[in-house]
Amino acid sequence: MLEVKNLVKTYGQLKAVDNLTFAVKPGKIFGMLGPNGAGKTTTIRTILNIIKPNSGEVLLNRKPVTPELFNSIGYLPEERGLYKKSKVWDIIIYFAHLKGMNSSLIKSEADKWLKKLEIPHYKDRKVEELSKGNQQKIQFITAVIHNPELLILDEPFSGFDPINQQLIKDVILDLLDNGKIIILSTHQMDTAEKLCNEILLINEGKEVLSGSLSEIKQKFGGNHIKFSYEGDVKFLSDLNEVISFELYSNEAEIQLKDDIKPEAFLRKIIDRVTIKQFSIIEPTLNKIFIDSIKNKN
Amino acid sequence: MKKAFTVARWEFFEKVKSKTFIISLFLTPAIIIAFSVLPTLMATGESDTTKAIGILDLTQEYFSDFKDEIEVYKLKSSIPAYAILNNFKPGLTADSLIKSADAMVIENKLDGYILIRQNGADSVKVEFRTKSIGNFQDIARFEEAFNNLRIKRKLVAENVSPQIIEFIKQRINVNQVKIEKPGEEGKGGFEMVFFSSIIFILLLMMMIIYSGQMLVRSMLEEKSNRLIEILISSCTPQDLLFGKVFGLSTLGFTQVLVWLLIGFSLIGAAIVPISSFDNIHLILLYFILGFIFYTTLFVGIGSVASTEQEAQQITSYLSLLLVLPSIFIISTLQNPDSSLVKIFSYIPFTLPSVMILRVNVSPIPLWEIAVTVLIMIFSITLTIKISAKIFRFGILYYGKMPTLAEIKVWLKD
Repeated sequence: MLEVKNLVKTYGQLKAVDNLTFAVKPGKIFGMLGPNGAGKTTTIRTILNIIKPNSGEVLLNRKPVTPELFNSIGYLPEERGLYKKSKVWDIIIYFAHLKGMNSSLIKSEADKWLKKLEIPHYKDRKVEELSKGNQQKIQFITAVIHNPELLILDEPFSGFDPINQQLIKDVILDLLDNGKIIILSTHQMDTAEKLCNEILLINEGKEVLSGSLSEIKQKFGGNHIKFSYEGDVKFLSDLNEVISFELYSNEAEIQLKDDIKPEAFLRKIIDRVTIKQFSIIEPTLNKIFIDSIKNKN
Repeated sequence: MKKAFTVARWEFFEKVKSKTFIISLFLTPAIIIAFSVLPTLMATGESDTTKAIGILDLTQEYFSDFKDEIEVYKLKSSIPAYAILNNFKPGLTADSLIKSADAMVIENKLDGYILIRQNGADSVKVEFRTKSIGNFQDIARFEEAFNNLRIKRKLVAENVSPQIIEFIKQRINVNQVKIEKPGEEGKGGFEMVFFSSIIFILLLMMMIIYSGQMLVRSMLEEKSNRLIEILISSCTPQDLLFGKVFGLSTLGFTQVLVWLLIGFSLIGAAIVPISSFDNIHLILLYFILGFIFYTTLFVGIGSVASTEQEAQQITSYLSLLLVLPSIFIISTLQNPDSSLVKIFSYIPFTLPSVMILRVNVSPIPLWEIAVTVLIMIFSITLTIKISAKIFRFGILYYGKMPTLAEIKVWLKD
């Protein structure tokens, strides 16, 4: 279990992380969400002992994270990059050595992972000759090859095509079955919604929401509908029944006032726009994210 | 510590395999040899054609005797070195004679001419007028020939016997001999010492600048693609710093080793004399200490750069600091015991290059060697400590360069 207690990190006047407390249990994916500049990366760096917090502590299985624990942590940073002129195989071996693996194990593990991510034929190629997606796969391998107990993935799916996103998702779920502690930091709410059991939403260094996904949805509550449409729905902002709404390309997600019946609302709008589909829903994580951040501001 | 060696091994092998390294490995000695051997060859190399030299003797007293004196000089094939032409024509003014002689030089009919004119009652003024000045050998010969002529004439006029005149004409040259131990002569004259010192100082500078730049650039790569975050969540900054310095030093010494092998094979070919390597153990010692000192400095200071331009600025300032002592090369050689040279051999930035020079010029007492080596070891330990602190913050520092005040805060942390 990873425990973060009362973490504070300031840069001059700016409080990048402001008294953050949370715990991550093994076997569940913990989603760390938040807008740009919310303090996610700083929190991750503090957990990794890359930077020192001003106060607070980080415990992995009740032990503070010190260089001795480095070998049991894997990290995929948001900004990717590898030594461009070096060979794929050499890089994997190098990082595995840095994580304290012994040489005999490294080779079999490296082969296993290259096969698992469907790129064994690139092993003798230089990184710069690979496509961006394949470079990311190499970096993913360097984060997991040493079988870490704690795995921190910062935007692991960005830059992958849908097929490879699925591949990476499967690999992550696989790791979960082995009892890993996994922290996933992302902006992709639909991914987070599908993968994460626990959510921590932060903004300006502070906790905004936390708990299991279902709990959060319950707590957020409200009367939500979604419909797909053709035409113009600008009139939604003039309706008294609507608390807030989010528009997607041809879909609208709406929070209605609690005493409004969805079918009554449907009757009211059906003459003004062509409705192709209408459903009563739980709020999506995306809506929760946007509303929570907007309310705070 | 094990991880530091992993880093060192990576830095070493990745760079050894790179094309730029392999090119520089062979290109650098080629350049150095060209710089150190060619001028010597060219300076001592005699011209192999007879030069057409005019004499315009406005005093009308010296021409024929002077001609005889100059014609003594022969080329290797016993052809006269100078063909002499008389530029004097009676009935013309001095000015028009000089103008027409000048014109012959400009039109390449003459390589140059010697102008002799009265300078006061008892003296003459001699000029060698030519298009290209700088041939010391010609000037030295003309000077000697003319002075011999004057002395001989005066002595003959005073009725001195011809034997005495011959005796006086014989010149005695003073030779410099370097002593290393009582009764033991060092080999090589001034040029030899000069060039062998220059070779090592050039080597040291080129190596430090080359690997310093390589180091800063590779750190910049790691910073810009955030690999640095993976690295320091895998090992401590100290491991990383040590590994980089150690890996690059090994790389540098591989380079020197190859260069030394090339050097020794050139001794075999008699291009570089063996005496260049007399103090090799001391030279290597200062070389290694200087290299480690500067490499550590490069790592620490270079880690704050976050753009290519900043990296270039930093490396060029540091390189300037390194090249500074080369200003004193000549003065060190001429006066190795001057207090200025002494001072510079106790400042860690200049110590290595100045000591490499001094070791070659004059024997250095053991206590001084011990003191300078201790100074270097102490400075290296100190720079490692300071660099490690700057490095720890610098590698995560993006945006504008940190101010000195910020760096002070880092050092206190």
